Amino acid sequence: MNAALWRKCVREARWLLLACVAAVYAFCWVRVWMVSRLDTQRFEAILELLPGEWKKFTVVEMDWLITYAGRISLAFDEPIVVFGMSIWAIARGSDCVSGELNRGTLEMLLAQPLSRLQIITHQAIVTMIGVVCIAAASWAGTWTGIQATTIKEEVRPTWSLPFSMPGLGREVSRPWAARETRYTRMSEKVESHIFVPAAVNLMSLGTFLAGVSTLVSACDRYRWRTIGIVVGAYVVQTIFKLVGMAADNWRWLTYLSIFTPYEPEAGVHLAMTAPDLTWSIVKYDAAGQWTGLGPLGADLILIGGGVVAYIAAAIVFQRRDLPAPL
Amino acid sequence: MALVDVQRFSKHYPRVIALDDCSFQVERGEVFGLLGPNGAGKTTLIRLLLGYLRPTSGAARIDGFDCERQSVDVRRRTSYLPGEARLFRQMRGHEALDFFTRVRPGGESERSRRFAERLDLDLTRPVAAMSTGMRQKLALAAALAADTPLVILDEPTANLDPTVRAEVGRLVKEAREAGRTVMFSSHVLSEVEEVCDRVVILRAGRLVHEQPMEPLRKRHRIRAQVDGELPSLPPSLAEQVTIERRESRDVVLETAGDLAPLLGWLATLPLRDVAIEPAGLRAIYERFHGGTSSVRRQESS
Repeated sequence: MNAALWRKCVREARWLLLACVAAVYAFCWVRVWMVSRLDTQRFEAILELLPGEWKKFTVVEMDWLITYAGRISLAFDEPIVVFGMSIWAIARGSDCVSGELNRGTLEMLLAQPLSRLQIITHQAIVTMIGVVCIAAASWAGTWTGIQATTIKEEVRPTWSLPFSMPGLGREVSRPWAARETRYTRMSEKVESHIFVPAAVNLMSLGTFLAGVSTLVSACDRYRWRTIGIVVGAYVVQTIFKLVGMAADNWRWLTYLSIFTPYEPEAGVHLAMTAPDLTWSIVKYDAAGQWTGLGPLGADLILIGGGVVAYIAAAIVFQRRDLPAPL
Repeated sequence: MALVDVQRFSKHYPRVIALDDCSFQVERGEVFGLLGPNGAGKTTLIRLLLGYLRPTSGAARIDGFDCERQSVDVRRRTSYLPGEARLFRQMRGHEALDFFTRVRPGGESERSRRFAERLDLDLTRPVAAMSTGMRQKLALAAALAADTPLVILDEPTANLDPTVRAEVGRLVKEAREAGRTVMFSSHVLSEVEEVCDRVVILRAGRLVHEQPMEPLRKRHRIRAQVDGELPSLPPSLAEQVTIERRESRDVVLETAGDLAPLLGWLATLPLRDVAIEPAGLRAIYERFHGGTSSVRRQESS
């Protein structure tokens, strides 16, 4: 490690990182608050009106998705969170080689006794620290929201029985009584730790995007072109996922999309409904048949892709001729 | 052992030969000039030495280290100023200098600040707000402050005002006096003449001429107009003097040694408008690049 190079990388990245962390943290907090403003029961009526085709676009059951936990988990699919991570990963990854080449600063940097591997490694470490910080901010924002938010519910009053009835417990609803407003803390309804798999999934997506951006950057000399290529591929991958989910005969397209392993709500759903499978690599049904990737399996695909892209980027950068600045 | 040893260095691109079969050596403590027009291969040669490019064939060693395979060791012993230095725009001048000092083992901040002072630099300014000339001075201070046996300066005075250019010349001479070796690439012949001990001339990627500067400094050129025929040179001067050009009444003589015997002979001739000047590098340079600027595509592709 070279302390001067380390400081330079941090200095170049700090404002973008601060902006991304602040945006993701604030949004995740606000998103929980927004969820608290709408009573879950009101969604049931809307859900019944939706055509069955809509269900193709969800990876978890719609009934779970309208719960508080389900709706909060959708925050990790919101553009601000996904773009916050994507902007950081693509901006830093693209800057690594083609950014320095484009600005002409690589010439002075490589005039120093630094190996190319050192340069790409320092950049990669700073980028990955940022990825972890943004993912942590998404969970921290959600946690803050859950701790700070109160839910307003309209419920029917209950009778408290002196004994527990099978299937009902001690509280029995009074069906003919008028509904009354009750305030409950969100933390009593939803546990924060179930969103950790979603944050890890977001971190995995960031790792993949950072790795691929660094690889394209290592091959290129213009940063604008690097960003163009990565963003173009990003859009194509999104289209693949949407088309694959919408049409059964195009379902194979989902296997070509990096957004298929990015399903944060699936991780939250599993953490809530089957905690034992929260960190599973693959999932099996009751008959022992393989049913798909577990949350950790999806994360490993994204992280593995990112690591392979980083290794390829280091090899390309080590071997290539560096053009003179224009 | 020479500090820089280049053997049959070549860099070929699919449609351009940037450097072809180039061999030379640079001795320790020498100021070595690289001359040639744009695209002659000067910058390609420097970039090959620093490991930015991989040679198509040949090899080079700096202080015994292979430029391709031991590039970090080479750069530990070399400081380099690129033709157009681009620095980190988010830093201030003193921060950029500190970075270049700290990134090298054993770098001294105080030393780089002394160089910056001599170059009249305002180090409090952000690099982004500096003019091209100021950025060049900042990079020059960083390059000269590094305590390395070899300094490579690629057109160091481009974008600098005449006062600072003179200061750069003095700094290069001081580096030589301190026992450092300097490779100096420039288009400005007068600068090269002033500071270099030896120059090589590159043309279309080939090293076409090597010229020690000491004998050149003793050469003089005499221009005059002569009425009538110019008599033959006396045998005592025949080895020392060459008649370079003779067009109608104009005559140009070049001499490599002491001027006194030649002046005695010239005084006997019917000459008018006599002018005596140092022969200089231009005459040599023009032999290879006279009147043409063989602009070739740079190795930007």
